Amino acid sequence: MWLMIKNEWQFLLRSRVLQGISLAFLLALGVSVYLGNLQTNSQAEQYAAAKEHLRAQWESIDAMNPHGAAHYGTYVFKPSNLLSSLDEGVRSVTGNVLRVEGHVQNEMVHSEASQMQSVSKFGKLKSSLLLQYILPLVLVFLAFHSVSKEKQSGRLKSLVLQGAKPSSIVWAKTISVWLYGLVLLSLTVLTYALFNLPSISAEITSRTLLFYLSYALYYFILSGLTVFFSARWQNPTVALTAMLGIWIVWTIFLPNIFMTSVEKWHELPSREEFKTAMREDRSKGIDGHNPADARGKELEDQILKEYGVDSLSQLPINFDGIRMQADEEYGNKVWDKHFGHLRNVLARQKQSYQMAGIIDPFISLQNASMGFSGSDNLHHQEFLLQVESYRRDFIKMLNDKHAYGGSKTGDWSWKADNAFFKSVPDFAYQPTAMASVFPNYLADLILLACWTVFAAVLLVWGTKRIQVI
Amino acid sequence: MIQIQNASKSFKNTRAVQNLSLQVDKGEILGLLGANGAGKSTCIHMLLGFIKPDSGSALINGLDTSQKAREVRKIIGYIPENVNLYPFLSGIENLDYFCRLAGLKYSKIALHDLLGACGLQPEAHDKKVSAYSKGMRQKVGIAIAYAKKARVYLLDEPASGLDPLASSELSSLLKTLAAEGATILMASHDIFRVREVCHRIGILKQGQLVKELRGEEVSANELERLYLEFMKN
Repeated sequence: MWLMIKNEWQFLLRSRVLQGISLAFLLALGVSVYLGNLQTNSQAEQYAAAKEHLRAQWESIDAMNPHGAAHYGTYVFKPSNLLSSLDEGVRSVTGNVLRVEGHVQNEMVHSEASQMQSVSKFGKLKSSLLLQYILPLVLVFLAFHSVSKEKQSGRLKSLVLQGAKPSSIVWAKTISVWLYGLVLLSLTVLTYALFNLPSISAEITSRTLLFYLSYALYYFILSGLTVFFSARWQNPTVALTAMLGIWIVWTIFLPNIFMTSVEKWHELPSREEFKTAMREDRSKGIDGHNPADARGKELEDQILKEYGVDSLSQLPINFDGIRMQADEEYGNKVWDKHFGHLRNVLARQKQSYQMAGIIDPFISLQNASMGFSGSDNLHHQEFLLQVESYRRDFIKMLNDKHAYGGSKTGDWSWKADNAFFKSVPDFAYQPTAMASVFPNYLADLILLACWTVFAAVLLVWGTKRIQVI
Repeated sequence: MIQIQNASKSFKNTRAVQNLSLQVDKGEILGLLGANGAGKSTCIHMLLGFIKPDSGSALINGLDTSQKAREVRKIIGYIPENVNLYPFLSGIENLDYFCRLAGLKYSKIALHDLLGACGLQPEAHDKKVSAYSKGMRQKVGIAIAYAKKARVYLLDEPASGLDPLASSELSSLLKTLAAEGATILMASHDIFRVREVCHRIGILKQGQLVKELRGEEVSANELERLYLEFMKN
């Protein structure tokens, strides 16, 4: 069989048309990886510079009221994962900058999509576009005629008479086309690795290997199915039409149909509904800025009792800071409730959408590719949770300073010194470890593996009765 | 030795071969003449083990081709009307590839010798097959069968479309192979070539052997007259 694979490769290497296609494809891949990498790095540099600038601004606060500083707030930038140059996933639509301040959990802004001049269905020249849409098409074009050409020319007869088994011929064709896909995929990954050599860690390596495995399985499925059709139907046009039909259904129709259905089955509240519900729930809690608020009064009585005094002026602390923090903690509970519900719905959507991989392996590939690149919605949610956790610590530190830093209730002119502001930690993003989120992508990998087995079984079963003449 | 014993084969409602029996001995060349659809190719495909007769049997050196196809194919050299090689490989690379498929490894010199023995000019050996004429491809096809040390050759319209020189070279080569002990069955439309090369000639009509005669017994003109007579009746 290896002899036949070698022969197929001689054809691939010597065919001028294929040389041209391969070269053009490699150039496009190289350019897309380079541009993706350039964008990731330049974005990372911009964010690092902006972060540094904001931090310097924060640390240069000489003296300021801590609650005033909570309103002043800061900005957090979503760092790009190294692998997002291979698949940027939902990054272009989720936004990259988040304002962190007291009383409110803001939404992310400055998405790449919001700054685009035009919108194309297939977007910009990206590695994921080439690897998920174009390369599979190249594999289909390489394979659709592979066996029928041998049959039509009579070479299949000659090969069998020389001792080659029809099944070996079919496997050799499949493996040759698959290897072609793997070579282009490997070159893409290697180019990416070359650009990022100093930053490659064990985490990045494991993610890259899983990314590679997902594509390798998908390419085998496509190569196997196309060669199977080529072996079953003497007319190559039928095989090509069938595979192009499958490609269109898998990559264009089914993902849209399933996503729309999943969004209907597990409906998310609209942005307005979400905000209104948050506002309503929030209004039931303490109003940190309203001393006349009834729930605030209850808290006041509790603190006065705790300190054994009769009035706020007798308190050794600043009650305003405590009320602000109580307001904040109530707001946090409201956010947890609503954002938690949102996360639950998103998780259910993801699980249902993953199941669509049973009839469309492209969905499994897309899920796995974005997931292993760290650019899917799950990783985005993880980032939002980290930011919210930071926001809570940040605001609590400011409110505590306001309450216990030495000022008295009602003294809004009291200011914390520069040393305090310097002591407030900056946001430090902890990239989500693959090991912790891997179970979320296991279903995608299993479905891809099942499809691979199915393609292999089809090849074995379907080519047993192959007609040589 | 090639034997077909009372073989019949039908495709849907068409009887391709009817109760056909023939035998070709070692060192002998049998030519099968017949119109299109007379059953010549079906005969050859039965002998190659690609078609199983509905009744009767096809044997090569005593082995039933429908039951022992793999063993039989090891000793068969098959040259079709159009030898289809890999156009992106040279003649010598094609020969090497097909030999390796059969489990044979020849040195480069031996491969050149094989092509030379089959009449392919040395300067063509390393040229890509896409630049070959039909005759040159036929010679590589014969070299593949020859390299396999085939003892039985089955030829299906081997001279069709060849120029007179290439056709004459093919005839000489077949005679040489037969002289070396090969058993050859050749299906053809070319009455004159069959008359020139074959020891025995059979005329097939509607899947039946309607006439069998020795090559030396008839002149080419006589054979043509006989053939046309059978075809008309």
